[in-house]
Amino acid sequence: MRYLARRTGQAAIVLLAAFTGAFLLLQALPGDAIMIKYENPELGLSPQQIADVRERFGVDTPLPVQYVHTLLGFAGGDFGYSLQTGTPVRQLLAEAVPHTLALGGIALVVAVLLAGLIAFGSSLPRLRWLRDLLRSVPPLVVSIPTFWLGIMLVQVVSFQLGWVSVIAPGPIEGLILPVITLAVPLSAPLAQILVRSIDDVAAQPFVAVVRARGATPAWILGRNVAKNAILPTLTMAGLLLGDLIGGAVLTETVFGRPGIGRITEQAVGQQDIPVLLAVVVLAAASFVVVNLAVDLLYPVLDPRLAARAREGVPA
Amino acid sequence: MSATFPTRSAVAATAALALLALTACAPATSGPAAAGSGEPVDGGTLVYLEHQAHTTLYPPSAGFYPNGGIVNNVFDRLVWQDPESLELKPWIATDWEVNEDATEYTFDLRDGVTFSDGTPLDAEVVAKNFDLYGLGDPERGLTVSEAINNYERSEVVDADTVTFHFSAPAPGFLQATSTNNSALLSADTLDFTLEQFAPGNSAEVIGSGPFTITDEEIGSALTLTARDDYDWAPPDRAHQGRAHLDAVQIQVTPEDSVRVGALLSGQADYIRYVEAQDEAQVDAAGFAVYAPQTGGVNNHLSLRPRGQILSDIRVRQALVAGIDRQEVVDTIYSERYPLATSILSSSAQGYLDTSDAFGYDPEGAAALLEEAGWIEGAHGIREKDGTQLTLVVNESAPQPRSFEALTLISQQLKKIGVDLKILKADAGSAAEAVRDVEQVQVYHSMVARADLDVIKSQFFSQNRNALLNLDYDDGTIGDPRLEELLQAVASEADPDQRIVESQQAQRYLADQAYVVPLFEEPQVYGAAERVHGVTFESVARPSFYEIWLAD
Repeated sequence: MRYLARRTGQAAIVLLAAFTGAFLLLQALPGDAIMIKYENPELGLSPQQIADVRERFGVDTPLPVQYVHTLLGFAGGDFGYSLQTGTPVRQLLAEAVPHTLALGGIALVVAVLLAGLIAFGSSLPRLRWLRDLLRSVPPLVVSIPTFWLGIMLVQVVSFQLGWVSVIAPGPIEGLILPVITLAVPLSAPLAQILVRSIDDVAAQPFVAVVRARGATPAWILGRNVAKNAILPTLTMAGLLLGDLIGGAVLTETVFGRPGIGRITEQAVGQQDIPVLLAVVVLAAASFVVVNLAVDLLYPVLDPRLAARAREGVPA
Repeated sequence: MSATFPTRSAVAATAALALLALTACAPATSGPAAAGSGEPVDGGTLVYLEHQAHTTLYPPSAGFYPNGGIVNNVFDRLVWQDPESLELKPWIATDWEVNEDATEYTFDLRDGVTFSDGTPLDAEVVAKNFDLYGLGDPERGLTVSEAINNYERSEVVDADTVTFHFSAPAPGFLQATSTNNSALLSADTLDFTLEQFAPGNSAEVIGSGPFTITDEEIGSALTLTARDDYDWAPPDRAHQGRAHLDAVQIQVTPEDSVRVGALLSGQADYIRYVEAQDEAQVDAAGFAVYAPQTGGVNNHLSLRPRGQILSDIRVRQALVAGIDRQEVVDTIYSERYPLATSILSSSAQGYLDTSDAFGYDPEGAAALLEEAGWIEGAHGIREKDGTQLTLVVNESAPQPRSFEALTLISQQLKKIGVDLKILKADAGSAAEAVRDVEQVQVYHSMVARADLDVIKSQFFSQNRNALLNLDYDDGTIGDPRLEELLQAVASEADPDQRIVESQQAQRYLADQAYVVPLFEEPQVYGAAERVHGVTFESVARPSFYEIWLAD
């Protein structure tokens, strides 16, 4: 229990730090979103009219006041308004998160399955040719840019072959190509880690003991090696969240899908600070939550860690 | 601006041409001739792909093209501007009267027009519309319309008559009432704040147009549904009554190759923003390409005369002479981007050919720079008193292929010893830099508006101030003569005299070497063969009202 409380407290501190860092960095950017929107010559407003609007948005209030105001807003679930469009940021996120969660979640599952398929397939020693082939897949795939993969899938599968529609597709249909686009590059590093851990674990003395007692290679792989090899992969999966978010930005743009990635891409272009701040905090929060979950899963998977956690020793 | 050319016969002629093309079994033609053949069919949903998501439905801020496609189809206006002749014709206003010095406008309104929430479109609500657009409301974040100058107040004469009063002549007001920026909204909608006009709340924004917004997915999709009881199209339009289409599905598809591919594979019917390098692919596949002109201030470079280097007219003249505009158009764009012959588009009101001032003459340019004391220095870049002849131009993200064009221009200028650097920055840095004459000396932009006022919008100190004639820091004006000329265009009541004033301003901008016009900017659209009845308003925003789908 103390382990849980300590980990949760650490997560909260990380979040506050992320908020503060993002707030300061965004404030340090040249210009501000009000300026970009209203001083944009395309509106043709006179200097006086611009001054009126600036006053309305309270752009020129001192930084500490803005910081406290924004932090309190965030604590109460109020993320302010997009300066570019005026849409409440909470509404933007509420509509976008389910789309990105569906895309990212399914992509992660598919990536893990793909990685597992590659790793375990390549660890069955009988089929040496298959093993070599599969082991050469991850280094190849890891170098494919997400953006390019997306465009190629759209052009070939949708436009040439006409198998799935990209424009206004059904909910399932709309996920097929984006999920592949996101999952394939993600599966490569996972597969590499998994292959490496399987090799490491397979070289351990206890495996030799099990083998000496007559276990089949498949039995060893399934019962003894896999369980031990999964730990580093799990850590990696937690760390890959960053890649997942980055990949979502590109995937959602290529496919014109709604989601956090699209919002981020648009907000970056327009320096829409309230939106960016909320996205950064959201990304930090999911990072913290996923890694917290991974940390809490460790003791479940490895009894030795569970014992330490009970005693409150750092894992 | 050319004298009356009856619209109906124009449509008939277009239709006849299209029929000819069909009977000749020609492959689907490019351009408007493909539209309007056969008998219109009602029904169907048009899938329309946008390049970017819309940002607001508050009309005075809705100039951005992705907003325009929505505003032009969901809201009506008082007056209709014929996109061909640019003449102003009745729409919601059946008739109007303007006093001699253009300080009073009285409109008679059509009977029986309703907003989609059932409320009547009467004098009261029209007055409320223009009170907001003419005066703005900073409290709600709502700005004044750039197109409405000197607005004082409205006066409801009776249920279908309204008068507007101006504190000084406002000759551009009548045309302003025909633009997207003056779209008519219901009384409730006019009480909205900027936040309520934002994406996410679009279905709540009520107009009286042929379509209503019925569904929205923020930033990615919007559904427009036809109003069955719509019966107040401009009398001069070929079609009357409800729109042919049942609905329009607007999908935001930012990636160029996906937009074009979706059109060619039949997943989309109609797309906006076909880039110049993709046109050939769309043409070759037998799809229609439409390139209506935006017809205002041409795509151009402003040579800002208050900067240290460019305050010398000889340097500005040298830049003008050192840029091979024809090569830019031929290399970077297509034949749908005609070479500019004035700061105004040749289809704009009051246009004056000043191409004599923009000839390519690299030797002359070099001689002018020598004369101005800029002597060839290290690496071929000229120098004077230890300073290099280095200038900065902004990449203008909304303009087609801005970076490519500027790169070529920079190479051309290098030949006469000028170092032109391109500022490729994020929105914030760019917004700040373009307001400082020592950071961005050469400013790349354009403006679309089909009225004589457009030249004033672009260069006047209180509007876009493209030349930075007004110094934002000390409030001084660099060239009072330019201010006078521009002010005259917007405040002269006599229409013929306004044309004279506009032409003087064009001449002055050319003679002072303040501008380098590049090309006449089109909006380029692609459409499938089944899409008929494609039309645009006067600055190339799409109208879905007359579109029908054949299959």
